[in-house]
Amino acid sequence: MSRLPEPTGSTGLPEQTHSAGSRTRSDQHESATSSDRGDQGDSPTLRPMSYRVARSTRSSRLFSAALGVLLITLISLPWWADNGPMRLIAEMAYFLALAQLWNLLAGYAGLVSVGQQAFVGLGGYTLFALTDWYGVHPLWALALAGLMAALVSVPVALAVFRLRGAYFAVGTWVVAEIFQLFVAQVPRLGGGSGYSLTPAIVRSIAADRGTRDQVLYWIALALAVAVTAAVYAVLRSRHGLALTAIRDSERASRSLGVDTWRTKLFIYVVTAGCTGVIGAFIFLLKLRISPASGFDVNDWTVVVIFMVVIGGIGTMEGPIVGMLLYFGLREWLADYGSWYLILLGAVAVVVMLRAQRGLWGWVESRFGLSLFPIRRQLVILPGTGQGESRE
Amino acid sequence: MSQSDERNTADLMTIDGIGRRRVLRSLAVSGASALAAPALMIKPAQAAGRPIKIGFVSPQTGPIAAFGEADTFILDGVRKALGKGIVVAGTEHPVQIIYKDSQSNPNRAAEVAAQLINNDKVDIMLASSTSDTVNPVADQCELAGVPCVTSDDPWQAYFFGRKGDPKKGFDWTYHFFWGFENIAEVFSNMWNSLPSNKSLGLLFSNDPDGIAANEQLPGVFAKMGFTVTTAGLYTATTDDFSAQIAQFKKANVEIVMGIFTPPAFATFWTQCGQQGFRPKLVTPAKAVLFPSAVAALGPRGVNLTTEVWWSPHHPFKSGLTGQTAQQFCDEYTRVTKRQWTQPLGFKHATLEVAIDVLKRAKKLEAAAIRDAIAETNYNSLVGPIQWKTGPVRNVCLTPLVGGQWRKGKSFPYDLDIVNSQSAPSIKPDSVIQPIIYT
Repeated sequence: MSRLPEPTGSTGLPEQTHSAGSRTRSDQHESATSSDRGDQGDSPTLRPMSYRVARSTRSSRLFSAALGVLLITLISLPWWADNGPMRLIAEMAYFLALAQLWNLLAGYAGLVSVGQQAFVGLGGYTLFALTDWYGVHPLWALALAGLMAALVSVPVALAVFRLRGAYFAVGTWVVAEIFQLFVAQVPRLGGGSGYSLTPAIVRSIAADRGTRDQVLYWIALALAVAVTAAVYAVLRSRHGLALTAIRDSERASRSLGVDTWRTKLFIYVVTAGCTGVIGAFIFLLKLRISPASGFDVNDWTVVVIFMVVIGGIGTMEGPIVGMLLYFGLREWLADYGSWYLILLGAVAVVVMLRAQRGLWGWVESRFGLSLFPIRRQLVILPGTGQGESRE
Repeated sequence: MSQSDERNTADLMTIDGIGRRRVLRSLAVSGASALAAPALMIKPAQAAGRPIKIGFVSPQTGPIAAFGEADTFILDGVRKALGKGIVVAGTEHPVQIIYKDSQSNPNRAAEVAAQLINNDKVDIMLASSTSDTVNPVADQCELAGVPCVTSDDPWQAYFFGRKGDPKKGFDWTYHFFWGFENIAEVFSNMWNSLPSNKSLGLLFSNDPDGIAANEQLPGVFAKMGFTVTTAGLYTATTDDFSAQIAQFKKANVEIVMGIFTPPAFATFWTQCGQQGFRPKLVTPAKAVLFPSAVAALGPRGVNLTTEVWWSPHHPFKSGLTGQTAQQFCDEYTRVTKRQWTQPLGFKHATLEVAIDVLKRAKKLEAAAIRDAIAETNYNSLVGPIQWKTGPVRNVCLTPLVGGQWRKGKSFPYDLDIVNSQSAPSIKPDSVIQPIIYT
């Protein structure tokens, strides 16, 4: 995926727009202070203003507070609400986690993979095999499934990283198909017809259904929160800067000394590991896996891409918005049979035509909101210049 | 009770102005009636109890949507027959059937089943049509302890596909349909009823069904006295069968049996015609179940043979509506202007069996309903249903017979039953004929 370096790019990536914007602003400062951009504030001769680098904005601080309240509400849900919606929230939670991971891959690292179902299925099958063959406790098996997926992703990465852009996308899909065909040939894994988890294994989490549902629900929440937090942390770290650089121009970032290959490998392996844990968890809920359901490109990748692209790729808010939209439509329309699928397609078409950067991209450009502030921005300290410069 | 009773007593005293004993008696009466009131509110003679919820999962969209195309018609019929409700343990309850589309996707099937269990809190779960719908739903029920009745999936795929142990069986989930052993019996009966050289050509798809069949069937048919030529497994998307056809021609094959999807069979059958291969009988399992699939073959669909699990000519009646199979199909054609299909009977039967189970349940709770399933002895639209004599504890076998497609009267093709040695209560419509080549 080559990205054109136009300033307000049609690729719709907010960082670009922003960097373009801030450059204009610092250009203004430059003209005012006639100093070099790099050491603008520290120039001993000219001290018209001082600044600090900040990332949080008022909206993001408000949002963090709201998020905290929401999280406490969700965590305490089993104590005060009926267990009915728990299952749906759990499903939303693991889809959010998958969407955040795919967004990190495609939206930031520029690795547009259409084969993440490989790791969902691998995680699921690892859980089934470990618990059924070796009697591993299902919760331990979740972690081991992640480890397995991360390990397998290394040689996979060595192969698919030789491909670029569309070829990379197709390559990852091929890998997933190979996994599926391989599993279908293993009779111990149920071959082509599939494999059910015996109730005794699931009961080892908790014998009583209510407790078990609660435990699984909390795991789902924990997965969503942990993945979102991890993605956020990665993006705010040194790796995050490297990633955005790679996303905008791989060649340019390499010339600036970013180790693009290693950064991409790091992201790919971490994503695969997390996807493996989520996959194992998904099939612990589903109780049954088959090559077709485990490596289903529609359920584990296309739906996830729908969420990310409709919500807004390359933003952390996008996957959340997309996930909520998808589930809203599904809960509302799924009982209408084919009409549901037609409407889902229509929504995708309309959003892609009217808001090419996704729903959040539209909100962001319209209102300048940022709930998960990743970029650094310059805040001019009061009394030293024109006051707080907002993004 | 105290306050209102006091008021009652006071009223009585002022109105009647009578002695202490009378007051005490009326106090006692009003007290008793106050105590009895809640009970009366529940049962004034035979008023409605809480609604009973039946969850029903079926593929309405997706690649196997043909199996679910009659669902709306079937649900309408059952709802009409139920009227205000059914009597369970002496109380009349309204019945609510909650229908969910599996989208032909096992992941979705598991999810809607979990939703029906957790959100809707269904009393009994039903599912039908292929392992992809039936197995995930049954798995969810088995773990959650929800009684479940399913149909329309060969029983081995249901039972062994879910890691069932024949010694233990399942606690909560029950199934009715036929199995692969019935397929072998019905097909060989059909082939034996027509003079031939008994040279049989087998061709299977490289998918779960085909692989399973390839392991079992060649040996079984050889034991039955056929000369078997196996052309191996073909890839589902192939568009060239000339090697297999050549192999069959060389072995002088007169009967062909295979497992095909409808498009794969259409390709195979066209190429047989092009290459002058003219077997007497062709029995493509799975490929020609639906009249639409046969119509797609044009005139070459005549006299193809297939497995028949249900037809309008089956001598069974719905225990719920009293309709015979024939009346049921006629009604379907009248309402929808479409030709009957085999899943029709099984969808209706799944629902009527559930209703029979609920009517017999001693209490409206999971364990009592499950016990009622195990005790079932019911005559349904697809035949007698009971789980006492099945091949394994949770499986009930329904009759399977052989059929042949003929030029139709009001629709392009009709399915005639041509062999029912395995289920003599079903009368054949006509005698098996070899495929006619012009």
